[in-house]
Amino acid sequence: MFSIYKKELQSFFYTPFAYALTALFMLLFTYMFNTSIGNVENPVFMFSFTEIFYNVIFYFIFIIPIMTMRTYADERKFGTEVLLMSSPVSVLKIVLAKFFANITVFIFMILGSTLFPIVTSNYGEVVMSQLICAYIGFFCWGAMFIALGMLISSFTENSIIAGIIGELAMFIFLFIDDFSMTDFISQYPKIQSALYAFAAQPRFAFFSQGFIRLSDLVFFASAIIVLLTWNYLSLEKRRWNRG
Amino acid sequence: MVTIENLTKYYGNNRAVNNISFTINDNEILGFLGPNGAGKSTTMNMIAGYLPMTGGNVKICGVDITKDPVKAKSKIGYLPEIPPVYPDMRVKEYLSFCAGLKGVPRSRRKEDIQRVMELLKIKDVQDKLIKNLSKGYKQRVGFAQAILGDPEFIILDEPTVGLDPNQVVEVRNIIKDLKKKHSVIFSSHILSEVSEVCDRVVIINKGDIRAIDTIENLEKTFNVKQTFHIRVKGAKSTAASIAETHKGVKELISVDDEAGDITHITVLLEGDADEIRSGIMQELLANNIMIVEMFTDKPDLEDVFINLINKPAKKGGLMDLVDEIVPEDESKAPVSEDDNDTAGKEDKE
Repeated sequence: MFSIYKKELQSFFYTPFAYALTALFMLLFTYMFNTSIGNVENPVFMFSFTEIFYNVIFYFIFIIPIMTMRTYADERKFGTEVLLMSSPVSVLKIVLAKFFANITVFIFMILGSTLFPIVTSNYGEVVMSQLICAYIGFFCWGAMFIALGMLISSFTENSIIAGIIGELAMFIFLFIDDFSMTDFISQYPKIQSALYAFAAQPRFAFFSQGFIRLSDLVFFASAIIVLLTWNYLSLEKRRWNRG
Repeated sequence: MVTIENLTKYYGNNRAVNNISFTINDNEILGFLGPNGAGKSTTMNMIAGYLPMTGGNVKICGVDITKDPVKAKSKIGYLPEIPPVYPDMRVKEYLSFCAGLKGVPRSRRKEDIQRVMELLKIKDVQDKLIKNLSKGYKQRVGFAQAILGDPEFIILDEPTVGLDPNQVVEVRNIIKDLKKKHSVIFSSHILSEVSEVCDRVVIINKGDIRAIDTIENLEKTFNVKQTFHIRVKGAKSTAASIAETHKGVKELISVDDEAGDITHITVLLEGDADEIRSGIMQELLANNIMIVEMFTDKPDLEDVFINLINKPAKKGGLMDLVDEIVPEDESKAPVSEDDNDTAGKEDKE
């Protein structure tokens, strides 16, 4: 399992891939940071890092499918899936190794963003407890979307298609809470509550306010477990349906 | 030893492999022969545990591949049709990854990688990116991966495709060497290659086994009937009657006149061809007939193969297949497992 993890990391870090993604993420973060800090004098606005996270997540959501789109699609394209599947490693371990590799790249990206609070703390006060909570929430959210992106990558052997469908899925998940609040859905309270249950954004909101609630952690953990299980099933199903 | 029993694979309603059974003994190279689309790769993939089978089972050294896949797969080295290499990795990096994947102990990894690189002569490209390698080199890197960690059983799916003639000879020698320590199944659609390397062959077409036997036996079986040509000068009718009535001649096929008073007689022989040939020659000479030329059409193994695979699968084993050299319409009758197993015995009788 470790060798697959290592290989995945190599494919991210021996190529410009991880760096390009991180650079893009940093660019977005810098942009948000600049616009927010520019408004710091304005009494209507309030500058906080969690606010930046909140804004950046909209763009960040689009980086994740780019990261995960190659996960299985490329293995199929190069015919290396056979190598993994015929080696003495269980499919579950393959899924986990790939998931952890993606998580590692994700952590690498997040670490880049810690530069801003560090610089800010030199010139002012940063509410550390709230910031750490926001990071935990951001991490959970990212991990969940990575599992989702990987699942989509397991459906196809074309990484571009995996990327595009991934973007779409992320978009739906991002706006599912807004959607459940529309007048139309409000007419059906049961559907509304069902849809709302899948929304990750309100859960992230608690983290960004400095709350770590067990129910939110359980939500993200169970979502990740379910999505990874689907990853596993999807890979197995493809083997059975090949031809 | 690897046992394959009643292996069947359907792709939807399409039957790719039909109830095939055979075994691969220790220290044996088994050739797996068939035209494109015969079900070779599907079978290989199933044996390697990549594709699940619709029916039947595969046991690698007694371990069922569906029941204990991890243990069974640890005994297998597999080179698929398309070498499973990552274009963005360097050769050495890739082999190191594969060694880890196959669970080669850390202490042994380095020397094992060196060993396979030396064996396949890829040391000079060890630091190159795989995407920059030629097809032949990629194939050899894939091969190196398959023999990493000294698995007991090695599956090679058309390992010589894309190699230049020099490399083909090298790779064949490597395969022959593998026999000392491993069992090998090796697929190809080139018969000469199989006959050079393998101890036994399994011939498959359209998912059915057509023959399982040693190359010598196959050859012998097909040489039972030989077409014998005699060209004599003059005395047409005497020569023809000698040829026809001689013991061991099954049938007079044709008597043709050629330019210069030469007669071309074609007969079908049965039994020990050498004895019959010399018998006919003696008799002709005793009758003062001048022999211009004598020759035998020896059925080429390639013909044997083509004939075998063009036949519809039929009950009754190899002898029946031999009897029906003339191609027939496609009528599929399933070959039962017993028939396949008796094929080898019958032709020895």
